[in-house]
Amino acid sequence: MSKSTNESISSGNVQQFLTFVLNDETYGVGILHIREIIEYANLTVVPLMPDFISGVINLRGNVVPVINLARRFEHQAKEVGKRTSIIIIDIKDRDGESVEVGMVVDIVNEVIELADSDIAAAPMFGAKIRADFIQGMGKIDDKLMILLDVNHVLSINELSAVTNIADELTIPSESDIL
Amino acid sequence: MNDETDYLAEGRQVFAEESRELLQQAEYILLKLEDEPDNDELINDLFRTIHTIKGSAGLFSFDDVVAFTHVAESVMDQLRDKEIFLDDDLMCLLLDSHDQISQLVAHALDNTEEPIGDSLREKGEEVLKNLHQYLDVKTPHSSVVMIAESELKVLTESEVALELTESVINDYWHISIRFNRNVLANGMDPLSFFRYLDTVGNITHMTTLTTDLPSLDDINPEESYLGFEISLDSPASKETIAEVFEFLMEDCLLQILAPRSKLSDYAQLIYALPEENRAIGETLVASSALTEDELLKVLECQNADINKHTIVTDENITLDKITNILMDDAIIDKNITGASTPDTALDKQKQVKEVEQQSVRVNAEKLGDLINLVGELVISSAHTELKAKQTEQAELLETVENLTRLVEEIRDATLSLRMVQIGDTFNRFKRVVRDVSKEMGKKIDLKIVGGDTELDKTVVEKISDPLMHLIRNSLDHGIEKPDIRTANGKSETAIVKLEAYHDSGSIVIEITDDGAGLNPEILTAKAIENGIISANQQLTLPEIHRLIFAPGFSTAKEITNISGRGVGMDVVNKNIDALRGQISVNSELGVGTSFTIRLPLTLAIIDGFQVQVGKSSYVIPLDLVEECIALDEQQAKKGEYINLRGEVMPYIHLSEIFNDEDSLNSTPDKKGRRYNIVVVVYAGQKAGLVVDELLGEHQTVIKPLGKVFQNLKGISGATILGSGEVAMIIDVPGLIRRLV
Repeated sequence: MSKSTNESISSGNVQQFLTFVLNDETYGVGILHIREIIEYANLTVVPLMPDFISGVINLRGNVVPVINLARRFEHQAKEVGKRTSIIIIDIKDRDGESVEVGMVVDIVNEVIELADSDIAAAPMFGAKIRADFIQGMGKIDDKLMILLDVNHVLSINELSAVTNIADELTIPSESDIL
Repeated sequence: MNDETDYLAEGRQVFAEESRELLQQAEYILLKLEDEPDNDELINDLFRTIHTIKGSAGLFSFDDVVAFTHVAESVMDQLRDKEIFLDDDLMCLLLDSHDQISQLVAHALDNTEEPIGDSLREKGEEVLKNLHQYLDVKTPHSSVVMIAESELKVLTESEVALELTESVINDYWHISIRFNRNVLANGMDPLSFFRYLDTVGNITHMTTLTTDLPSLDDINPEESYLGFEISLDSPASKETIAEVFEFLMEDCLLQILAPRSKLSDYAQLIYALPEENRAIGETLVASSALTEDELLKVLECQNADINKHTIVTDENITLDKITNILMDDAIIDKNITGASTPDTALDKQKQVKEVEQQSVRVNAEKLGDLINLVGELVISSAHTELKAKQTEQAELLETVENLTRLVEEIRDATLSLRMVQIGDTFNRFKRVVRDVSKEMGKKIDLKIVGGDTELDKTVVEKISDPLMHLIRNSLDHGIEKPDIRTANGKSETAIVKLEAYHDSGSIVIEITDDGAGLNPEILTAKAIENGIISANQQLTLPEIHRLIFAPGFSTAKEITNISGRGVGMDVVNKNIDALRGQISVNSELGVGTSFTIRLPLTLAIIDGFQVQVGKSSYVIPLDLVEECIALDEQQAKKGEYINLRGEVMPYIHLSEIFNDEDSLNSTPDKKGRRYNIVVVVYAGQKAGLVVDELLGEHQTVIKPLGKVFQNLKGISGATILGSGEVAMIIDVPGLIRRLV
């Protein structure tokens, strides 16, 4: 686990998390990362992007990329339903600039409070998603819930680096076109 | 305190911008003077420019700048007075002075704490020494009362006829200054002027006049109530001292008396100042500008003037008595201030008006915000239009149409605010060309065409460095020495041409020289040597020419200090790429080389052409769209090229390029299906883009796609449609480059 996540866990006694459901599994995200929640609509597909990038939306005049979280976890994505939502997350890029990225989730639930003692470290293995995506495990009523490390899940470097590969794979080479 | 530092920082920012512009202007004038050395207008302009720099630098106590600039200015003054004439040596010296001032200003703005570096100082001293050769030390002019213009009028109106011709026994300058109430509100700090005055000479005595100071309850801290009587020990000329207060001329009453002025001058001074004559007289005595005896004479004279009395010569009469007499005099209340203030106020208003007509300095950030807002306005008006069309109400549609037209006009007007002429950037290269030709013994003429071509300021700023590289390369590698040129049957003087013009939504900048041209053999050999290409690779001529843009490529046999580090062209190419532009090179051995740079006009709002591919909308920059044609399947099947009125034109299916499944799946070989081809043209190259549907024109506000999509090819940005949906903007230059 990275140093920054350690810090964010130990600071303050009680932290608030937004919980949401994705493929029948409940996850939590620290609310300090969350800008807003909007309904899933008017998504524009961006060509030549890997399938975990759903496209872009117009968020009050800004073009914001939207990530299909299920695909990002390399799971099957559910059909878009009535409760499908986009959570707009505020993350910092390498230069420390704030970037908005949306992520598609099936159902948004509620905001919960977790004391530091209720947060356990991420398991080394056995989780259904990449270990570095997990900030910690939240305990509620003896049930465990994955708390996401959005800076890793939505890492701009990783998202755009993948674009590179996808680019080479999907763009027909010059000889194909001509 | 914080406010004050902010204020200062802001002032420095203004000074930084102003001095940069002025220095640029000065250089431009100097270079122009080289061609027409007798142009008095230019010499005057030059003097004014340098003088303004000195004045502003003085405000910020940049003493190094002031000290140096002063000498340079004096030389220019002599030039103006035709005491010396402009020859080659002086020209070089003045250019050197200009550079020195630039560096001093840069240093002052950088860090005011540290003293200037040794090399800079040595260079300065050398230039100064040369400058001083042109200066014969001038003696101060005869003692004339120096006053602001508005006041001159007051004096002539009062017409004090005095006949005292005796000189006073005082070796100091006497300066009387009364600030107007609004001097602080106008952004002038009187203190800084005294600080500057202290650099001109030594202030031996200063009396602060507080007679105007209201009671504490009535005082307005933003107004200035003070007046000063100053004795100055200085060898400087009257002009120099007056110049100290140049920026205050509008905001104060200023009188300067030379050392050993005539008593009559002092009489006039006392008479002209707003305070009671008695008080002034005493102040003058206190600051030892006048002896008591002299004061008596002056006052008596005034007395005599009014009462037609003979001059009282009894030196034993005490001051008290004199003042008693004076207090009875009607002169005292003569409303001098009342007469002068409206004049100055009027003058100032006039001046402010003139300045406003010329230009307004606006923070670039504010302008950026405005452009963003206009972008939002454009989008929201498109939305309104869409909704209005759905209602099918004729009246509403008419209003909306009107609105749309206005929004379009606002858009164009706003974007034009950020448009600047490229001429200023071009003119900067004159100096480079001049210096390099002198240094390398080449004869080069720089021709500038289309300097009034406008483009976005943000683009201009970023193109300047790449242009500099290209020109230096051209001067260094391209142009031959005069003897070689004559041997090859060319004229001795080489011509480097900088040309700018608009071409279908782009600005094109061409740099052409009539030098040696690129030698393909040397280029290939060098590329092989540097491992850029392999020895058996066969390249076409254009490909060989493009080798110069490869990283780590340099052909100069010897590395000069002008170019030849082998990074230049590579960096040029990258910089232009970053601006969404392109560079191409064309060269003929022995005839010359030309570089063509194409840049988008703006990075903000464009006219677009909307098309549909599958379920997605795309926008093609309208300036690049030549025409739209229909194509039936038979023609389309023939291959990747179509015959466009006898022209061979390549085309591509956007659905294939963007791998759009919806569009690809919907094209099972239906009979009679017709294709729409949008013919785009970029840099003279035509290509067809096959789309599913043509949707028409669309005002396109370019939105950056953000870092997630930074490596995406074929898409140059995004825009927001009237419906609120996002549409991709097609990168036409990028697609064409892949096609041809």
